[in-house]
Amino acid sequence: MFRYFVCFFALTCFSFLGYANDNHSDFREEQNLYGKIYNAPLGIVGNNKVSSVEELYNQKPLIIALVFTRCYGICNPFLLQLSENIKHLQSNSDFNILVISFDPRDNLQDMTNLSKQYGLENNLQWNFAITDSIDAFINSIGFIPKWDSVIKQFDHDALLVGVNEKGLITKNLLGIRIVEDVHKMISSINNVFTPSYRLPTKSNIFSCFNYDPKTQTNRPGLGLLFVALPAIITFLIVTIIVIKSKRTVS
Amino acid sequence: MNIDSLKLKKISALWIIVILVLFIASIVLGILMRLNQGKVIEQSPLTFYTNMTTHGLTMIGIWFAAGMVAVNYLLQRYVKTSYGVNLFAFILTVIGVVMLWVTTYAGKFSTGWTFLYPLPFRDLGSESWSTPLFLISLTILGVGWLVWSVSLMAQIFKKYTLAQAFAWQHFKSNPTVETPPFILITTVTLVGVIASLIAAVIVIVLYFAEYFSHGDFVNDALLMKNLIYFFGHTIANEMLYLGLAVIYEIFGEVSDRPKWKMTWYISLAWNCAMVFILTAFFHHLYMDFVQPQALQIVGQLVSYLASIPSAAVTVFSIVAAVYGVKVRWSIVNLLFFLGVAGWVIGGLGAVIDATISNNIMLHNTLWVPAHFHTYNAMGNVLFSIGFFYWFSTQYVDKLVLSKLTKYTLTLLIVGGIGFLMAFYVAGANSIPRRYSTYPVELTSGPYLAKVGALFATIYLIAILIFFYNIAKRCFVILSASSR
Repeated sequence: MFRYFVCFFALTCFSFLGYANDNHSDFREEQNLYGKIYNAPLGIVGNNKVSSVEELYNQKPLIIALVFTRCYGICNPFLLQLSENIKHLQSNSDFNILVISFDPRDNLQDMTNLSKQYGLENNLQWNFAITDSIDAFINSIGFIPKWDSVIKQFDHDALLVGVNEKGLITKNLLGIRIVEDVHKMISSINNVFTPSYRLPTKSNIFSCFNYDPKTQTNRPGLGLLFVALPAIITFLIVTIIVIKSKRTVS
Repeated sequence: MNIDSLKLKKISALWIIVILVLFIASIVLGILMRLNQGKVIEQSPLTFYTNMTTHGLTMIGIWFAAGMVAVNYLLQRYVKTSYGVNLFAFILTVIGVVMLWVTTYAGKFSTGWTFLYPLPFRDLGSESWSTPLFLISLTILGVGWLVWSVSLMAQIFKKYTLAQAFAWQHFKSNPTVETPPFILITTVTLVGVIASLIAAVIVIVLYFAEYFSHGDFVNDALLMKNLIYFFGHTIANEMLYLGLAVIYEIFGEVSDRPKWKMTWYISLAWNCAMVFILTAFFHHLYMDFVQPQALQIVGQLVSYLASIPSAAVTVFSIVAAVYGVKVRWSIVNLLFFLGVAGWVIGGLGAVIDATISNNIMLHNTLWVPAHFHTYNAMGNVLFSIGFFYWFSTQYVDKLVLSKLTKYTLTLLIVGGIGFLMAFYVAGANSIPRRYSTYPVELTSGPYLAKVGALFATIYLIAILIFFYNIAKRCFVILSASSR
């Protein structure tokens, strides 16, 4: 009977654990960092010289805003706040902004109208664009809009993506953010130092992980072995004591 | 009374007096910190953080030592323990603690008890010699405790085989040899203690390596944090287990109830606890984005799994021992009983914080000191004071539940709960921890700090009464002769 109680208790605990896991908010801003953005072909309003994302970030680091023109929700306040934030920045010339539609129904005329709505149609820093490779593009960011067929709207995050001149995503901002956050993003895409996990050096030989800029991955380092070392040494000590005690008894 | 037995009693009595004196001093430091946060007194930030470092390290050290003293004393019932090693650990502990206090008060070392990398190498207003002296004091403490732990474990394995010490024979029906629960829990705990002390040794070696390399060698912050919490989190939990071993051993006899017997589920629970507790520290690194997600998940899972077996089985055992039967209640078993309640409540607070979704909100708020003060001040401290009381009265006095004892216990409970509630409410209101003073926006912070200081003073009064009663009997034991 008691064993059934133990099993029941353990199952209950695991259920609560599952519930807790299901309910935690995640660190989505940390996802896909230092991954390469997909080089999607672009159709940009009033700009025939640039035809891809790569060409754009090769010119200057890039802030990408993901919207759709038929949005009844977050897109307009999100873009309005972004444009206001950019105006308030002391130095706002060392990056470009790409406003890209993730709705396949949007065309260049829709994006032109959107740019006019904010008086940005002649601003060279702002690029209103569409692409025919939107799925690959948003997958490289980890942006997942959900289509609601009842209200004919996308359920989506207000996401700003910061991309440096090498096309690596250095920062994500979720939601409508204050100017200081945008400033941090601009620092990040311009490779201004912010405290973070250090790259391996000759003087730092026991790193837990070593970041490889070529593959953009973290590989386990020698330091990880040190984390396991106390348990390994303890196991050895116990083994030695047991063997020694056996010898003494015999 | 034979000479070995008397020597053990004397060294135990000496330990108890020193531990209680340091405990009282550390409580005073804690109250001063809360008064400063409450703006009743004004300390410089450096003084505040010096007090915080001393308070934390001393508390961890003395309550670990208290558990070891109790276990060492009771282990004598089953195996012969070394008086020399006990004395060696005592001397090294005293030297280590004195050096530590010199480091913090003369050297202004103020990194907090976790001495997280790279704080010991940063100019926080401390003297340049304080960092090496701090590392040396930790080395002395670590060596003393490691030798003591290995010595106790070696004595256990002289009598019990590996399987018997871990009670593995109880997984089968009708085992031929019964392992006392005290032996199992002590063995399991000593494994964790040794692992955590080895983690501390590695941290100290790495700190020394960087200190003496003059920049040629630098440490990895993630590795250092992992190792520091391997040491800190594990030893903070293992010292609770030492207290639980004492409860399993003497709760029955002080309550006029039969001694707890080993069962398959006690054996399973404590073997599981031994494994789980060694990896639960990962929950301290949820905010470290470079830590792999898999380890964060392990941190949460194991935090749940580590608390369930030992807590569930212990609570079940203690409730079963007192429910519906006549128990001879004394101050000792009351302290044990209340201590288990405090341990479980603090443990629940810890598990709430160890859940990733909650940790996002509670990390570095006063919720953290709330839960660890619950299972220490109202858990582990009660286990140890219960043992100290039992130890001091068994040869000198009789265990009685006098009116004064009841009042003292009431003061302890009221003071303890009030002091902890001030932490919990502040934590739930996102008041940050480790702030010497609060900015004006955090209006409830100073008010709750004052409430905390008031109730902590009530708690201190109770501890002073306990100290008087226990210490006077310990002095009698110290002056006893073998004739």
